[in-house]
Amino acid sequence: MSFFRRQWTAHEADEWTKEDFWACVFSSLSYILMMIGLALLFLLPVWGLIIFAAGLLCVWLMYRAIDPKLKTVSADYEVKQKAYLKELDRIMKWEDK
Amino acid sequence: MQIQPSVIFTFWDWLWLILYISVMIFSGILFYRLGKRSESDFFLAGRGLPWWLPASSVYATHTATDTPMWMSGVVYQHGLAGMWYSFFAAWCAVSAFVSTRIFRRSLAYSQAEWQTLRFSGLGSELLRGWMAGWQVFMNMMILGWVGMAMGKVCHYAFGWDNWVGLVLFSSICAIYVLAAGYWGVVIADFQQGIVVFLGIFIVSVWGVYEAGGPAGIVGRLQELGETSRLNPFHFSGWFSGDFPAAWFITMLFIALLGGIGMGTSIDWYVEAQRIQSAKTVRDASYSIWGGTALVLTRNSLWAAAILGFYVLYPDIPDVKDYELAWFRIGFEMLPPGMVGFFFAAIVAIHLSTVASILNLGALYATRDLYQHYLNPHASERRLVWVGRFSTVLVLVGSFLYGSMMENITQWLIFALWVMAAGIWLPNILQVIWWRFNSWGYLSSWIANLGLSWLVVWILPAQGLLPDLPDYAQFWLLMGLGILIYVPVTFLTKPDDMDHLVRYYVQSRPLGFWGPVRREAERQGLIKAVTEGVEAELGR
Repeated sequence: MSFFRRQWTAHEADEWTKEDFWACVFSSLSYILMMIGLALLFLLPVWGLIIFAAGLLCVWLMYRAIDPKLKTVSADYEVKQKAYLKELDRIMKWEDK
Repeated sequence: MQIQPSVIFTFWDWLWLILYISVMIFSGILFYRLGKRSESDFFLAGRGLPWWLPASSVYATHTATDTPMWMSGVVYQHGLAGMWYSFFAAWCAVSAFVSTRIFRRSLAYSQAEWQTLRFSGLGSELLRGWMAGWQVFMNMMILGWVGMAMGKVCHYAFGWDNWVGLVLFSSICAIYVLAAGYWGVVIADFQQGIVVFLGIFIVSVWGVYEAGGPAGIVGRLQELGETSRLNPFHFSGWFSGDFPAAWFITMLFIALLGGIGMGTSIDWYVEAQRIQSAKTVRDASYSIWGGTALVLTRNSLWAAAILGFYVLYPDIPDVKDYELAWFRIGFEMLPPGMVGFFFAAIVAIHLSTVASILNLGALYATRDLYQHYLNPHASERRLVWVGRFSTVLVLVGSFLYGSMMENITQWLIFALWVMAAGIWLPNILQVIWWRFNSWGYLSSWIANLGLSWLVVWILPAQGLLPDLPDYAQFWLLMGLGILIYVPVTFLTKPDDMDHLVRYYVQSRPLGFWGPVRREAERQGLIKAVTEGVEAELGR
């Protein structure tokens, strides 16, 4: 069984879970490693390559953690979006108060 | 060291430049019909963009004319560790999966509009008006300082007066922003993003090559006794020196935790527009993440080139000279015929920022001031025209502010601290804590404006407070702010519960929303966790 959940119902995906936390962790690590790694690629190429590759690995882990959940959140939300936009328009015209 | 204002343009250099500017203006005319369809098109491209378009816009917008100056300054001074100054952008690492999702679901056109969706009553209206007015002002100021940076580059390259570079290129940019609004911005940003990335890559690789390649730079640093410049974690001590580890830890804290909130970075307001222009929640998340990944890796290219410049010219004492390092690599080291391409990349860097800021300032003036307070029933056609008029207003304002700014770095640092310090925590609290109300948030803004001037300028000038390092200013401003907005929050009523429930059900924020969630469950608007799972499985 995968550490990161692959199947989500719309209701479950609306909750904040460990997948969100780990996506943030891997995302932050990937930024740090890619930034340092790419700069070092031009100066100390071996170290640069190792660090940059570690950054790319973090990107992949981030994607694995969050993408199935994001897809479900998106699909469910887009169904409701039209009604929400109408509501926003009513609020903008001061018609909801 | 004296700067020689003499860059020789050949026929091919002028051709690159004229072709490039023509393509930009043409793209504006091409999307004119889409931009004028509605307010949503003029400011959000109809909310229908795939993730890579707003991502390229995030990247292009945050690559401004003053950015390579800023990066050159900090990397020349501190070596690779100087890259951390630009790591504030990493708030997007967390925001992409937290505040971006929450904000996208709110569907607010702007952060000012979000205030009235999150908060209720008079306080929320005051917040919206204040934030919209402040954003119009801030966008004029930002345009002023990036415009002046362009003025300085043109002065260095061609010997023009600073105001010529400021007025000329911002005005060219305004043509396609006026014609096509955000459509023009985002399509031009995509092209500019490619030109900018190519330009930065070519110039930086060329700079490393001219400095002797990787081995040459490392060898020269060893000769100079400066190998610590290759260490991204080289600090001057825990609390001492000009680059202490305490600053680094504070920066990581601000940047990464700041991604939970909205407005914790000055860049949020630009990103907010890109988030809403993405066609889905998923596209919004990836656009913010991808655009920022490009921003940070771009900084790496600059940093390598600036280290190359450092080993060639290690003894430049004046910041005004070495902050032009990357521009000097391009103008002085590239072969003839490529200088025009380099200048086209600089123009791309400049136009992409100017276009975004012009349209963003106009968005706040149109949606949050004109439509919300003056003419809620305005037709779509009228709103587009008000958007165009506001664009001109922001442009003219930027010329006035630009002409008043002498020292870019000083303004930039102050603006970043004003934005980051006293309202950093309130910007998170408004997202994660249901009880934090509009009066608490409003009081944090007012307190921060006063406190930041006191702590940064007035008290040190009067000798009543020592000159604190900026990371210490951050903690002091945060602590002083808490003493004001927390009591104000508890002494005033919570926001209207029905309003909070409506916001919660639509946006599903994280954090401390227990009473609101229970009320939403009681009203049957959302299901309890276990109940929901059972229902989904049953279905």
